[in-house]
Amino acid sequence: MERIHIITHFDRCTGCGLCQLACAERLLGGYNPHRALLRITHQCENLYHFPTVCNQCENAYCATVCPVRAIARDTRSGAMVVDHEKCIACNLCHRYCPLHIVGVDPELKKSVKCDLCGGAPACVAACPAGALEIVHRTVPTPLKEES
Amino acid sequence: MARSDMQKLLWVDLTARRSRVIATPDWLLEAFVGGKGLGAKLLADLTPAGVDPLGSECPLMFLTGPLTATAAPSMRACVVTKSPLTGTFLDSYFGGRFGPEIKYAGYDGIIITGRADGPVYLWIHDDTVAIRSAAAIWGQDALAANAAIKAALDAPDAMVVTIGQGGENRLPFALISCEYNRQAGRGGAGAVMGAKNLKGVALQGSRVVRVHDLPAFQTACREAHAAIAASEDCRALTYGGTSTSLAWASQVGVLPVRNHADQVDPKADRLGDEAQYKHLFLGKAACFGCPIRCSQMGAIRTGRYAHQITDIVEYESAAMLGSNLGIHDVRAVAHLTKLCDRYGIDSMSAGGVIGFAFEAARNGVIQPPEGVTLDFGSVAGAEYLLRAMALQENELGRLLGQGVKRAAESLNGGTRHFAMHVKGLEMPAWGPRGTPGMGLAYMTADRGGCHQRGFMIAYEVGGREYKGRPVTAHAVAGKAEILKGEQDYLAGTDTLVKCDFGAFAVPPEIYGRLLQAAVGRPVGAAFFNELGERIWNQTRLFNLREGLRAEDDRLPRRIVEEALPSGPHKGQRISAEDMARLKADYYRIRGWDRQGRPTAQTLARLGLNEIPTFVLPNSDKE
Repeated sequence: MERIHIITHFDRCTGCGLCQLACAERLLGGYNPHRALLRITHQCENLYHFPTVCNQCENAYCATVCPVRAIARDTRSGAMVVDHEKCIACNLCHRYCPLHIVGVDPELKKSVKCDLCGGAPACVAACPAGALEIVHRTVPTPLKEES
Repeated sequence: MARSDMQKLLWVDLTARRSRVIATPDWLLEAFVGGKGLGAKLLADLTPAGVDPLGSECPLMFLTGPLTATAAPSMRACVVTKSPLTGTFLDSYFGGRFGPEIKYAGYDGIIITGRADGPVYLWIHDDTVAIRSAAAIWGQDALAANAAIKAALDAPDAMVVTIGQGGENRLPFALISCEYNRQAGRGGAGAVMGAKNLKGVALQGSRVVRVHDLPAFQTACREAHAAIAASEDCRALTYGGTSTSLAWASQVGVLPVRNHADQVDPKADRLGDEAQYKHLFLGKAACFGCPIRCSQMGAIRTGRYAHQITDIVEYESAAMLGSNLGIHDVRAVAHLTKLCDRYGIDSMSAGGVIGFAFEAARNGVIQPPEGVTLDFGSVAGAEYLLRAMALQENELGRLLGQGVKRAAESLNGGTRHFAMHVKGLEMPAWGPRGTPGMGLAYMTADRGGCHQRGFMIAYEVGGREYKGRPVTAHAVAGKAEILKGEQDYLAGTDTLVKCDFGAFAVPPEIYGRLLQAAVGRPVGAAFFNELGERIWNQTRLFNLREGLRAEDDRLPRRIVEEALPSGPHKGQRISAEDMARLKADYYRIRGWDRQGRPTAQTLARLGLNEIPTFVLPNSDKE
C-alpha cells in the first residue's frame, strides 16, 4: 500500500516556524505556532532545531484509545484524521500519543491533528530550507500479530 | 472585523506590583500604527520633561507592529525607552521569538513602569500576569538567567528576555537579551530594566493573530517571499549573514580600524565569512517567520577559546571587537562577543569603549593595571575591560563603563579628540570619512550614532542609485534630501515592525499590501514616508524637550579634524564647514528652523499639532 508521509530533517531546520504559521493559518484562519499541528524544539543555545510532525502511525495509539472511535485513517490521503462530529474532547489521544502531537485545541474544543492537508501539506510548501519532505512509502499490509 | 493588531496594551506597574490591560486607542494606531510609532508617542506622553532613564517613572516598553507574529516574512519587535547613554529617545529592535509571543499573549505591547523593591521577573501567560522573585537568579548572566527562568516556571516553551550583570549594574550600554540570544542591543535598554530590578520577562500566549483580509494577505505574503527569494542581498545574508561585509567594507574604505584611526584593514578577511565558515559556522538559525536565516550558529572548536557555542560574529561585532581593536583571530572575537552577550552589554558600544581605552592607554592617559596589556591586538586586555565594566569591579571599569563620552569628559587629556560617539552613542562600524551623507545620518539619527536610521553608504560607495542616477561619494550637496527619504521610510516601516534585511528585498508596495490586508486601512504609495516623517518629528520633539541642542548634531572630532591616512578615501574628513552645510540643508528640507526645531507649519502639516495625549488610567480611581 502506497502512502504519503512527512519526514523531517533536523539538519536543515532553521527553527523559523514558517511551517507552523502555515499550519495554524489553515487550521485556525490565523497565526499562533503553539497551536499548530507540528512542533519545533530548540536546543543547545539554539544550535539545534528539531521539527516534530505527526507520524501517521500504523499502530496509532491515538485512534486505539479514542473511546468514540473519532480517529481513523483517511483512505485517500492515508492520514489519521479526527472526525469532529464524533470527538468528545476527552484528550485521551494526547495523553497516549508518544509525541504529544495530537490533542484538544483550547478554542475549537475538539481534538486536532495533522491530516496531511488532504494530501498537499501546507507546512512542507512553506519550509524554505527543505527540512520537511513528502515521501511516498509502501506500508506492509497489516498482519494480525499473535492471533 | 478581524485585524492583526491586538488593540490592547499591558501595563505593569512594578512599584504597585499590579498590572492592567488598556485598550490601545484607535487614534494612536491610526496616527502611529505600531512599533517605533507607538513608542515615539507613548514615550513622549508618559514621561515628564527631564525624566531620569534610570528612575522609576521612566517606562520600558516592548512593542510589536501590525505584521509582527503574522506570516509576513522577517518581522521583529522593539524596545522603546529613554536612553541612559544619550538622554534621547531610544528604540532598539530585536528578532527571535519573543516579539511575536507578545501578540500571542494578546497584546500590542507591554509598558513597564515603576521599580520593584527587590529583584523580580514577570511571568505573563495570556491574561495571567505574575511578578515573581528573581532573588535566586540575580547575578547570573543573560543566557543562564533565560534557562533558569524557564526551569523555575517549568515552561520550556516560554519566550524569555533577560538582562545580564551589565543591566543589573545599570551600565548605560547594557542590552536586553531576547529569546533566543537576539539583542535589543543599542542605547542601554538593559540598564533601564536593571534599574527597575527586573531581571526578566517570560511570556506564553495562546491567542490567534488574525488578519483583516486573509486571501489578500496570503497573496501579499507570497509576493514578499518571492521578493526575498529573488534578492541577491538576501541570498548573501542566507549564505553568511553580515560576515560577508567585512572584506567589502575594508575594500570600499569604511571599516573602522584601531578606534577609527583608519578605515581600511588588509587583514579584514580574517574576520569575514570564509574565516567564520572555517572556524565557527555549523548551521543556520532563523528568527521567527524569517526565510532569510542570516544567523549562522556554530562553535569555537579549536584554540584557547574552544568549545563555546557561538552565533555568527555579525559584521558590527566583528568590526568593533575585531578590526577596531586590532584583533584578527575570529575565534577570539567570537569569544569577546559571547562575553558581551553573557554580561548583557552591547558589543558595538563595548568595542568602541575598549578601542577608546586602548588609545588612551597608548597615549598614557590611562594606566593599565599590573599584568594587563591595554593596547590594540590584546584580547586579554579587551576581556579584562569587558569584565571590569560589566561587573563594575574596579575604578577603571566604573570609569569606562559610563561610555566613551562621559569617560572622555572625566579623563580629559585630549581624549575627546578620539572619543568616537555621537550624542553619547558609540559609533557603529561604518567609518564616515569619504561618505559625508553617512556622516549626516550619524549627526541626525534620533538615538545618536546609529547606522540603521539611514544607511547612506549604500548610495555613496555601494552603487545604489538615487532617482536613477549614481551618487557621488565625497559630495556634500544633495545628501540631505536622500537621507531624509531614507530616515522617513525606515521610521515608517519600523512600525510594522520590519527587519532591515527583509527590507533589502521587499518593496514599499508589498509592505503596503501586507499592512492593508492585515488591518484593513487603505495604504497609499506615500504612506510609509508620511508616517515616518511624523514619527521622525515626534522623536525630535522628545529629544529637544530632553535638552538636545543643534550643536549636538555633530560628528566626533577625529572625523572632523583628522584626514584619513590611507585607503580609497585617503585625505578625507568631514570638516566643520561640511557639517554646517549638511546640517543647514537637512534642517531646511525637514522643515526645521536653524536651531533644528520643527516649525509650527511642519508640525501642522504632519498632524502633530492636534494629536491627543496618551495617559495611563489613574490607579487611584480603580
